[in-house]
Amino acid sequence: MEKDGSLLDDYVLSLLGAARPRVCFLPTASGDADHYVVRFYRRFSPGCEASHVSLFRRDQGTGGVEDDLATHLLSQDLIYVGGGNVLSMLGAWRAHGLDAILRKAWRRGIVLCGPSAGSLCWFEQALSAFHGAPRPVRGLGFLPYSNCVHYDAEPARRAEYHRAVADGMRPGYAVEDGVALHFRGTCLERVVSSRPDGSAFRVEAYGRRVRETPLEVSYLGAPAIVRKPAPARKRGGHAPTPHTPRPVPA
Amino acid sequence: MIERAGVPVTERLIFAMGGGGFTMEPNNPLLDDFVLSLARAGEPRILFLPTASGDTTAQINAFKARFFDRTCVAEHLSLFRLRDSTRSLEETVLEQDIVYVGGGSMRNLLAIWHAHELEDLLLEAWRGGTVLAGLSAGAMCWFEAGVTRSSGPPEVIDGLGLLEGSLTVHADGEPERLPVWLAGVRDGALPGGWALDDGVGLLFRGEQLERVVSSRPGAGAQRVDAIAGELVRHRLEPELLLDGPSDALGGLDEAVQELRRVHRMRRGMGRGRAG
Repeated sequence: MEKDGSLLDDYVLSLLGAARPRVCFLPTASGDADHYVVRFYRRFSPGCEASHVSLFRRDQGTGGVEDDLATHLLSQDLIYVGGGNVLSMLGAWRAHGLDAILRKAWRRGIVLCGPSAGSLCWFEQALSAFHGAPRPVRGLGFLPYSNCVHYDAEPARRAEYHRAVADGMRPGYAVEDGVALHFRGTCLERVVSSRPDGSAFRVEAYGRRVRETPLEVSYLGAPAIVRKPAPARKRGGHAPTPHTPRPVPA
Repeated sequence: MIERAGVPVTERLIFAMGGGGFTMEPNNPLLDDFVLSLARAGEPRILFLPTASGDTTAQINAFKARFFDRTCVAEHLSLFRLRDSTRSLEETVLEQDIVYVGGGSMRNLLAIWHAHELEDLLLEAWRGGTVLAGLSAGAMCWFEAGVTRSSGPPEVIDGLGLLEGSLTVHADGEPERLPVWLAGVRDGALPGGWALDDGVGLLFRGEQLERVVSSRPGAGAQRVDAIAGELVRHRLEPELLLDGPSDALGGLDEAVQELRRVHRMRRGMGRGRAG
């Protein structure tokens, strides 16, 4: 649904088995912005059973799902989380019990996806820049890494993320606009991009130094090209680190 | 950390409205002018928090329409739109003369404030002499408890507890809240408190109720307590606010008008997308 993001939307839909998948949109991070909800339906209602949950208009009959959020969300094939402010979103989710419902959905195999705040939220830690200096934010923690988005869009973002990782933030993934990380369980399975030049990096500290390793990115535009990573920007570059699979926490 | 001296308890003001103001009364500025008149500054800085609505454009635009041509420096704080400000929340909140909280979901309001640690800043602002004002969710939030429809049907919800007692709002406009509140007070789930019609506001000085005012003839308020399991209800007679300078700051002098023009220009240049 993002700018140039239709390839990413197609990719996530390709992960679903159903002919007409059930897709539910959570626009919480935008404050349930009407224009975002409209954009979602425009994009997804032609091929999917599309619905959305609004946590701000639960009493106003605006067409969102209102009664049993758990039952509704747990019957989806895909839960699509919109962008916006990750802290506000997580706060509202906790107040409505959505954090627990989403954990259950993930364990059941429902695909979870989203851009920006809709990416940060799944990780244990995230870098969020909002009203002043960027700071680490605790996410839902399904993925035991940190995450930094808009890596190319904000000039200072890279230095800030490196500093945070050097200061003890978990190792994790920095992702440019148009690029998506596809995890199976807690393992990174594939990195895909809607832009020919999109990049993503594994970022980790050793001592006080930070190593940034480019990941192999598959451009989703035809023809499918697997672009080999560029050399590491910092010394100590090596092939993408295979990540030790961790069992899904019980 | 911005150092800010506390003011005496008698200079801490909270104005809680059962409904009304710019979001509900676009053609009746009486309550909003009264809010402005509570600030000690000649040209008060007023910050609108539309959090409870999810920062809807409609609320923000209504706020601008009401305040941007009045004697004040008006801005809003979004906790959703990115890149709205490079200032920290602390700087933004603590420099205000008035913080005005809009209506919407009280459950979301408090949860989101908590996620941003905003309630501590608001407490500090109040102690420092910033007037706290609001309607509906933005009024109940200052009390120990209220009645919200955040999840659909009306239910009891805890507030921040700056003021003792409970509050229920829209007593005339959304009558389904009142029985839930009365039952809560009767069975002790809620402390005693006030029920306000739309258009009625309570002014607290420190923790004492000082005035009950109204923008609408006929709108009312009541104080309800449970004594030995029985409800004791007192009707309060609000003062009807008057048009004109008595409750507002009076006519604008030229210097203030000039200052406002400068502020508007600066705001126009500094602002990217409205947020």
